[in-house]
Amino acid sequence: MGRYVIRRLLQALLTLGVALFLLHYMMALSVQIRGNPALLFFGGKRTPDPAMLAQVERLYGLDNKCYERPGDPCLTPFVERLQDYASGDFGTTLSGNRDVGELLAVYIPNTLRLFMFSTVTLVILAMLLGTWAARHRGRVIDHSVRGTTILIDSVPVFLILLAYTYIIAVPLTQWARGIWGSESFMGQLFRPNYSPDYPWTTMIVPGIILGTVGLATLTRLVRASQLENLGSDFVRTAKAKGLKKARITVVHVVRNSMIPIITGIGYLFAFMLSGAVLTEGVMGIPGMGRMIFQGVQRQEVNLVIVGLTVSAVVVVLVSLAVDLLYAALDPRIRYE
Amino acid sequence: MAENLRVVGDTLPGADLNAPLLEVEDLRVEFKVRGKRIPTVRGVSFTLEQGKTLAIVGESGSGKSVTSQAVMGILDSPPGYVTGGEVRLRGVDLLAQDEESRRTVRANHIAIVFQDALSALNPLWSVGFQIGELFRVHRGTSRADAKRRAIELLDQVGIPDAKNRVGHYPHQFSGGMRQRVMIAMALALDPEVLIADEPTTALDVTVQAQIMRLLKQIQDERNMGLILITHDLGVVADVADDVAVMYAGEIVERASIHDAFKRPAHPYTKALLRAIPRVDTVGRELEVIPGLPPNPAALPSGCPFHPRCWAVDPERCATEAPPYEEVTDDHRSLCHFAKEVYRDER
Repeated sequence: MGRYVIRRLLQALLTLGVALFLLHYMMALSVQIRGNPALLFFGGKRTPDPAMLAQVERLYGLDNKCYERPGDPCLTPFVERLQDYASGDFGTTLSGNRDVGELLAVYIPNTLRLFMFSTVTLVILAMLLGTWAARHRGRVIDHSVRGTTILIDSVPVFLILLAYTYIIAVPLTQWARGIWGSESFMGQLFRPNYSPDYPWTTMIVPGIILGTVGLATLTRLVRASQLENLGSDFVRTAKAKGLKKARITVVHVVRNSMIPIITGIGYLFAFMLSGAVLTEGVMGIPGMGRMIFQGVQRQEVNLVIVGLTVSAVVVVLVSLAVDLLYAALDPRIRYE
Repeated sequence: MAENLRVVGDTLPGADLNAPLLEVEDLRVEFKVRGKRIPTVRGVSFTLEQGKTLAIVGESGSGKSVTSQAVMGILDSPPGYVTGGEVRLRGVDLLAQDEESRRTVRANHIAIVFQDALSALNPLWSVGFQIGELFRVHRGTSRADAKRRAIELLDQVGIPDAKNRVGHYPHQFSGGMRQRVMIAMALALDPEVLIADEPTTALDVTVQAQIMRLLKQIQDERNMGLILITHDLGVVADVADDVAVMYAGEIVERASIHDAFKRPAHPYTKALLRAIPRVDTVGRELEVIPGLPPNPAALPSGCPFHPRCWAVDPERCATEAPPYEEVTDDHRSLCHFAKEVYRDER
């Protein structure tokens, strides 16, 4: 067990290091090929005074000579940046000169809340629907569950979001406020946009909508793994032991079905990050997805890199958690 | 023995202690596949007395495992359904009972050992948990007591260092040891009937002998009725008291082990015996039964064995289903020519 954990930890660190370096190298290459982003500081067309340009370059860490040699991996600035991150210094934004570390302190919790609602929605829906479909294998319920989830999944999440905000949210909010009042939970729940005054309530609906991303995949995964275990020899043994149906399901089916499901959740979590860009954009949630999107729009290189670094860390952490859960669930992995 | 009888009477309402231990009468099982009904067990009857061993022998697909699962009440429905017959345990018809009563019969009165212990044990739970589960569910035993009982059982089935092994997982055991774990699990609640469904098929030859010896020893100690399901007549020769040979969902011959080996009364049994490799026939080519076991969805007309039979009467066997023929007391054969085959005249 100890060796397994250590190996997975080292793997996670290595993955993270490679991901961050690739990110850095892509950025360095784009500076080397496309030109100096510090010029943007002066409004693009104007040719700035060399001394001022040098100052701006120093300010944003672009003063290293490696940025003028295409193909150079620029290791020195990479290491310097990692050191800055480690000491809590995430730099500032080009426009407004705001501290990125402070922005993260607001954005990360918002995105985590969003993901919490999405993950809970996804897992509960997929487990219920998948189990239901497996119980009625080959019958109408099975086919309609599979058809409906595919249908939901194939509608792009931004379309659901737009339909919700423009068509459903306003009348629903008015109706709810007419009954319970505008300050009530129900009065806030259906709002078409996020409100910092109700950081939990107004996050529920966007979270649920984002949670439908990957619903079909996970539902099928749950259905397939439960069917596999329901027909397995050890479930037959459990029946022969005179156990009750409920106990067989809980003790001998659900736990065995969890392994592929956890894999799926880990995979879908990374998938949801891209959905977060859309959800946060449409619902006006100040979160990581919107931050990355705006960073790209405004050519804020630092903002984009910090945003992608955070998502790389999150994805690696989730995969690590998945690997550790495997070990907790399956002794064959634990004693490998 | 007396204790065994008392347990049945205590926990099986209506049990008649003078009735045979297990009587199966005209058991029928059908599989429903895509709207078609496929008869897999077609009127099987046998009796098992306390302390006796009945071997059910047959090729794969002959319905022997389905029979045992129907007796246990663990057929997967769909696709398998019991469509007729009776399974009486000390006179109580199990098929007429509700699911809750049947559930308590399992493991308490009738237990089963499956062929492949690796897949028959849940890979995610320790063997101690899986054995102890029986005590906790059926007897309400505490976790610690259940573990103690599990250690005792593992010790009884000859697993060394049981105290340590109780916390191990199925994949940490060798094939033979895993089968011992299965046996320990089946014995946990001291059942009166033990069904062993090809218990040694997945094992090495040397381990096979050990497992057979263990089953025999346990049966003697506990005075259980043992049903030994196998496709290998050689395995049962020195442990079984009686043999039932199955073919295409029917028992084609039922005899004492001695009679079945010395004077078989069904051409199929005779052919099976000739197919056993023997030391005194080294050098000669091994005899095989020509053809394949029939597809239960499309059984041959008349006697289902006639296309492969060496003693066939083309007229009669292809058109007329044979009746049971009693060649002696307790020796029945499902063949038009049972007496001739028995007397070696055909």
